[in-house]
Amino acid sequence: MAAHAIRTRWLGFLFLAAMLVVLAVLPWAINNYWLRIATGALMWAGLACSWNMLGGYAGYINFGHSAFFGLGAYSSALLMNDPFGLPFLATIPAGMAVTALCAVAIGGPTLRLRGAYFAIATWAFAEVLIQFATVMDFTGGTGGIGLPPFLNERFFYFAMLVAAVLTYLVTWALFERSRFGLKVKALRDHEPAAEAMGINTALVKLQAFVLSAVAASVFGSIFAYWVTFINPKSVFGGDITDQMVVMVLLGGLGSLWGPAIGGVALFVVNRLIWMNWGDTAFYIAILGAAIVLVVLFLPNGIAGLFARRGGNGALAKAAEKLVRGGER
Amino acid sequence: MSVAMSSAAAAPAQADSILVVRGLHKHFGGIKAANGVDLEVRRHEIAGLIGPNGSGKSTLFSLVSGTVPPDSGEIRFDGREIAGMSAHRIARLGLARTFQIPALFENMSVRENLLAAAAEGHWAGARERAEETLALLSLEHVADNRASDLSGGQQKLLEFGRAVMRQASLILLDEVTAGVHPNIRRIILDAIVRLRDKGVSFLIIEHDMEMVRNVCDRIIVMDSGRVVTSGAFEDIVRDSQVMQTYLGRPQ
Repeated sequence: MAAHAIRTRWLGFLFLAAMLVVLAVLPWAINNYWLRIATGALMWAGLACSWNMLGGYAGYINFGHSAFFGLGAYSSALLMNDPFGLPFLATIPAGMAVTALCAVAIGGPTLRLRGAYFAIATWAFAEVLIQFATVMDFTGGTGGIGLPPFLNERFFYFAMLVAAVLTYLVTWALFERSRFGLKVKALRDHEPAAEAMGINTALVKLQAFVLSAVAASVFGSIFAYWVTFINPKSVFGGDITDQMVVMVLLGGLGSLWGPAIGGVALFVVNRLIWMNWGDTAFYIAILGAAIVLVVLFLPNGIAGLFARRGGNGALAKAAEKLVRGGER
Repeated sequence: MSVAMSSAAAAPAQADSILVVRGLHKHFGGIKAANGVDLEVRRHEIAGLIGPNGSGKSTLFSLVSGTVPPDSGEIRFDGREIAGMSAHRIARLGLARTFQIPALFENMSVRENLLAAAAEGHWAGARERAEETLALLSLEHVADNRASDLSGGQQKLLEFGRAVMRQASLILLDEVTAGVHPNIRRIILDAIVRLRDKGVSFLIIEHDMEMVRNVCDRIIVMDSGRVVTSGAFEDIVRDSQVMQTYLGRPQ
């Protein structure tokens, strides 16, 4: 059994190494059109992972996660333009800092709420940011804001790749392999019991929330520079959060690789539909169908199919928390 | 009521007590769940807390462990006032508890449940202690199973195991052997006595008088949110009025 576990671990390690090699040479193997799709897939895999930090591991369903993606995007856009004119790489940590401050400010009060109330509060926060960015002059209002164009597809591919790899590494190290992860999962399953074990649940939740927010802001920064133009809807919009949620549910809530599987799968399907049928509402129908199928037949998502012990039931737990308002 | 008076006369000095509760009140709407509770748990003793259903035993646990804040009253743990302190701070001072209805981390494995209990505080050597605890409670063969897949008795064992992992100086056990197979119950009782001999104090809610007689050094009887008497098992049982009124079992 021990030998089997070690062999499995080595196989997993080899598979990951092979994946990384493939991802590293991919830009030279495909054309720019597919490279853009690969770049987007990496972004969504990373965003889904960032949402999963709080939603999957801590069981707090955040329906306003696009707020942090947008904060990163707007931070980079504003700081790269006059009067700041900062280089792109300097705007990423600045965006992370702004996002972290906002996450602490919004997380402090809202993380006291449970279940549906937390979901509603975070959704409202993202809506507030949309309105704010729409009415303020310095954000360019509805018209949005442009960034200095930098037309190097490979740069953006590797920027997204590095950000995604770092996001998964941090998630693995903190949520799967450390005491912090034990505390987060403990409070997801039973907050009073976690408190009785000496865990400061309010602090641990806030830490998970800030980590999750800061990771999303990095992808927002890269996205803004990549598409060279953003407006309130394109980076704060609720549909961005919706996609992250569905990707995580499809892939496997509270698992390390679930968000990667769900993120890549849904984004590629999205692009294939777009290529064949143009901009249709068909994708929304597929999102809805995916949710129904997952809830009915795959409570632990696609990753749950491969889990050794049938997954961890995190979806059922989160759904229960959402429905019951987390009364305990 | 002679027992009550004799126990009051023999009340220990506070320095000998790890837990001292004075005038503790907690009302839920019109229900006085704690209506002026006074009690002590001495160092290195196993104190049994008995009383009819609804007498306020589990509420007392929630008040002492900080899960529920008291309306008024004093709670001194190890010489420190803890009334109204948050649950995690009280836990870090060295107080552990179990829940009457198992409050396991259901989606985590049995081993992870034990490790999570040690994640805040005594982390050094936690992995080794988790393996020891698994062996002590005969849970090795289900160590990698999800906690929610355990049988009712095994869930009680794990609940107890998490309290042990805390390396606490006072452990509150809420009916920890209810519904547990007699063999396993023996294991838990042996573990409690061994920990007591190492210097851990216990306050135990228990309905099984056989267990109370075998394990507890002293008995505290509660009714209607108050402590009505305390003393040695024999003294409590000899007072037929207490037995009749509070335990419904005439001698």
